[in-house]
Amino acid sequence: MLTTLEHVEALSVPVARGRTAHRLRLLAWIATWWAIGRAAIVLAAIVVHRFGPSGWIRNVEHAHALGPLAAWDGKWYRMVASSGYLMVPGRQSDPAFFPLYPVLVRGGHALGLGYSASALLLANLGFFAALVAFHALTRELLGWSTARRATMYLAVFPFGYAFSLEYPESIVLALIAASALAALRGRWGLAAAAAAAAALARPEGLFVALPLLAIAWQQRNELTPVRRGLALGAVLAPAAAIASFSVYLASVLGDPMAWSKAEQAWGRHFSPLGVVTAIEGLGGSFAHDAWVVRDVVAVAVYLGLIAVAARARVPWPWLVSGAAIVVLPLFSGAFDSIGRFGLLAPAALWGLAALGRDPRAHRVILLVSVPLLCAAIVTLPLRYP
Amino acid sequence: MRGRRPGPVFVTLAVAAAVVFATLAAGFTIQRVALSEPSAATFDALRTATWLSRYRLTASTFTVDGGPTVHGECLQDWFAPGGHRRRGAVLRLDDGLVLLDVPPHTLVATGGTAAERALDPLVLLELGGCTRVLQRRVETLAQQRRGLTMSGNRLSFALKGTRISMTLDAQKAPVAIAVSSRHARGSSSIRFERVTAAIRRRISSDLPGYGS
Repeated sequence: MLTTLEHVEALSVPVARGRTAHRLRLLAWIATWWAIGRAAIVLAAIVVHRFGPSGWIRNVEHAHALGPLAAWDGKWYRMVASSGYLMVPGRQSDPAFFPLYPVLVRGGHALGLGYSASALLLANLGFFAALVAFHALTRELLGWSTARRATMYLAVFPFGYAFSLEYPESIVLALIAASALAALRGRWGLAAAAAAAAALARPEGLFVALPLLAIAWQQRNELTPVRRGLALGAVLAPAAAIASFSVYLASVLGDPMAWSKAEQAWGRHFSPLGVVTAIEGLGGSFAHDAWVVRDVVAVAVYLGLIAVAARARVPWPWLVSGAAIVVLPLFSGAFDSIGRFGLLAPAALWGLAALGRDPRAHRVILLVSVPLLCAAIVTLPLRYP
Repeated sequence: MRGRRPGPVFVTLAVAAAVVFATLAAGFTIQRVALSEPSAATFDALRTATWLSRYRLTASTFTVDGGPTVHGECLQDWFAPGGHRRRGAVLRLDDGLVLLDVPPHTLVATGGTAAERALDPLVLLELGGCTRVLQRRVETLAQQRRGLTMSGNRLSFALKGTRISMTLDAQKAPVAIAVSSRHARGSSSIRFERVTAAIRRRISSDLPGYGS
């Protein structure tokens, strides 16, 4: 006869095996979608390499098939990775680029990779990690079917071409999702580390503090004073990480705000009336470069998707942080690059997943996304992301 | 006597403060350990570029290839030689040579000796201490962390086929320039000056498109 303990063991082994198999199947499914999106991007990059357009990106970045993916800000991240920071007053300078991604790229270089290869590998593997973390977070917040759709859409999202460039967005999204997930599971130390790392890679990482604060508030009665302190620390960690960047710049360049001043050379200067300036200047911006339309459309799309997410009962802290990520850059007086910034607003993807509940809408989203993703890469030489 | 145990609010705040401090310290340490820092030569070069950016007028005394000593003034200003207003430089020497350089399409030399007009105009602009020409190059090389050599008080670099060596004073302001190219070699001493309306008129008024 089996004892009770033996019964439990006999039952739990197949359950554990089943769980492992299920996890592996899920990872394989995510990997497939990751591969579909990234294959489309690599093929489009090869097309750009073979047939052009040459556009604004330099010859060196047309030299090999994946060269277009190393263009634009990739040059700056590689420069920080190889040589550190330097502020040249009045000129575009590298302190505008946050340090975590270059630090990781330098780590890859120390392992024997070239700076560019290291940067590309990190961005693309980081995107796989982002898909896994994003799926887990969405599942926790909104259920399986939404997680499934949102992950598919994220894998082929048209603005998601930036996840495959030498940019830190994929790593930041992975860290934002991992931080919130850890918080939901009560692992506040991990949440703090991931949130801090996100903010050390992109300033948008700061906005994960709001969902973390809401989660901490929900759990307040279940937490011991020590864990409550960890939770509060996790909420403050992104700001502390940005402060650490300022302290570092002060020690090396003598200017704690060098990162903010460097932004000004790109025409970004935050002011309360920046939105008005951005909207007023649209005519001039359009006359100068019609590509600004893409970023204006991005703002409208993201805000529309966040509104849909609100109707789909996405928790409000995610809506507010998503809207902040999309709207705050407008206070710098320009629409530039918001298509890329909005990738760090998970609420927008959750809005898209809500739209995709309708099977026809689901098919349309997938059918339209892949060609747009390829088109985004083909136009990469013409306009920065 | 038993000590009082800290209250839960105190514990919460202390732990939060510890997390914040740990984040700050870890973030700083990672950057400090992982990222390289610019060399002292790069910072010196940037200080030199800052001096160059502060002035639009340079007075110079120079010789080229052992020729006679000439005095020059180089003014950075706005010009409109083809109707389009652009930034450029005019170098006027006391032997009558006037060199107008307005990128990207205008480079005109008038007056002076035939030997001077045969020289690479860039050599003259560099010896004349034309600030923007030198400043942009120094900044670019400093930013790329390559091509700048600091040896004692001499900052050396290359610019379009010329090799420049600037002697710096204690504040890293350039006081002398040596230039060598395939066909010419010269040295100058330079002094920055303030631009006044009268100086501007004197140097530029007879140039095409001046003041447009």
